[in-house]
Amino acid sequence: MKLLPYGPTAVLAEFGSLEEVMSAATAWRAAGYSGVVDIVPAARTVLVVHDATFDRESLGRPISSAETVARGELVTIDVVYDGDDLAAVADVLQLSEEEVVRLHSAPEYLVAFCGFMPGFSYLTGIDERLILPRRTTPRTRVPAGGVAIAAEFSAVYPRESPGGWHLLGRTDAAMWDADRDPPALLPPGTRVRFRPQ
Amino acid sequence: MITIRSWGIAGSVVDGGRVGQLWLGKPRGGAVDLESLRLANRLVGNREAACAVESSGGLSLEFGQNTTVAITGAIADVTVSAGAPVGWGSVATLPPNCTLHIGRLLDGSRVYVAVRGGVLGGTEVGQRGDQLMVGHDESGQPLTEALPRPSPSTTVGLWPGPRRDWFDEQAWTALCSSAFVVAATSRVGVRLSGHVINRSWTGELASEGVIEGAVQVPPDGQPIVMLADHPTTGGYPVIGVVSPGDIGHIAQAAVGTELRFSARR
Repeated sequence: MKLLPYGPTAVLAEFGSLEEVMSAATAWRAAGYSGVVDIVPAARTVLVVHDATFDRESLGRPISSAETVARGELVTIDVVYDGDDLAAVADVLQLSEEEVVRLHSAPEYLVAFCGFMPGFSYLTGIDERLILPRRTTPRTRVPAGGVAIAAEFSAVYPRESPGGWHLLGRTDAAMWDADRDPPALLPPGTRVRFRPQ
Repeated sequence: MITIRSWGIAGSVVDGGRVGQLWLGKPRGGAVDLESLRLANRLVGNREAACAVESSGGLSLEFGQNTTVAITGAIADVTVSAGAPVGWGSVATLPPNCTLHIGRLLDGSRVYVAVRGGVLGGTEVGQRGDQLMVGHDESGQPLTEALPRPSPSTTVGLWPGPRRDWFDEQAWTALCSSAFVVAATSRVGVRLSGHVINRSWTGELASEGVIEGAVQVPPDGQPIVMLADHPTTGGYPVIGVVSPGDIGHIAQAAVGTELRFSARR
């Protein structure tokens, strides 16, 4: 772990792998440090936003622990697999559409981090046979609830937006609800299953 | 009741936003120049983060009843259809059916109009003819009559950021000694134009957390300073971070304004 400066109100911890990021973010959130305002995991870093009372030296080096990470809440998302890219994905991967759906809905995913827009969660744990790069041309309009894959992640679009991920299906689940605490359905650390409808 | 005759440029109802949701993908949001929102609300005796109207000019508000208002932020051409004129940082009570018009901005890029009792309802950008409800006086606190306007600063403090070491000493010195001109400003951030800040190391950066005030350097070497609606993660290296107390100066810097960074550590 390397601590990088980020002005008087934040510090950026850099790690060698996404697994270390997830265990640090989970452990630090559980630690409930006083003076910490936000703990923001990303691919290789955890951003800690804090107030003037926080002592950076108190950020303990996290012990890598798969158990800490795997204790998050399990959320099941019902998916209608009729996405615009399902046929093309099956074609490129030389699988049947049924096989793509089976592979996508089999694993238990884990939310690594959020980004891009409120409630957009990056899910790790995808079957290696489904890994493929983003679309060469992003769509100008992806519908809200679009269930998609790109590289080693799966995600659900919280609202209509442009997007370059491959659309496999859709869900009615509300990914962001300002009246819910937390507003995001899938905060970092949540375990996720997709259930075909 | 307030009827919006014109939202003008980038007009919307804003509050103080909300911190602590970057981890869920949501930036603070709310007033881009938070200090000016707080000041306007204090003037009319509201909670500091109460909802008010933010605008970059061309805003027309018609008040259905006696309404006490305060205007802060940018210096603008302000006209009222009846009653006494409203100056910057002063409090005025407008008679029923009076229209307040914020015209061209003369200095700064965002005006805040607070009304005593606060604006009720959502914080979404609306349509012409929208009606906003006004809350009841919340506190009954005495109102300040007027405030001296602090002189806007064009030099802002800059702390080293997480990717400071992707740039050599020469690039950092250039960033902290030469003048930059505001090329574009929005709720997301301010794009600067000036000395090209070149990376000394050109690796790929995996997206990482971004905060308000972060100064990103895209491949063209022209810095971008993040404001209230910034993306919560980004893949451009963050060379520095604007001192939190100076973010309002960035938020108020209009296109064409000259800005300078002063190194902090």
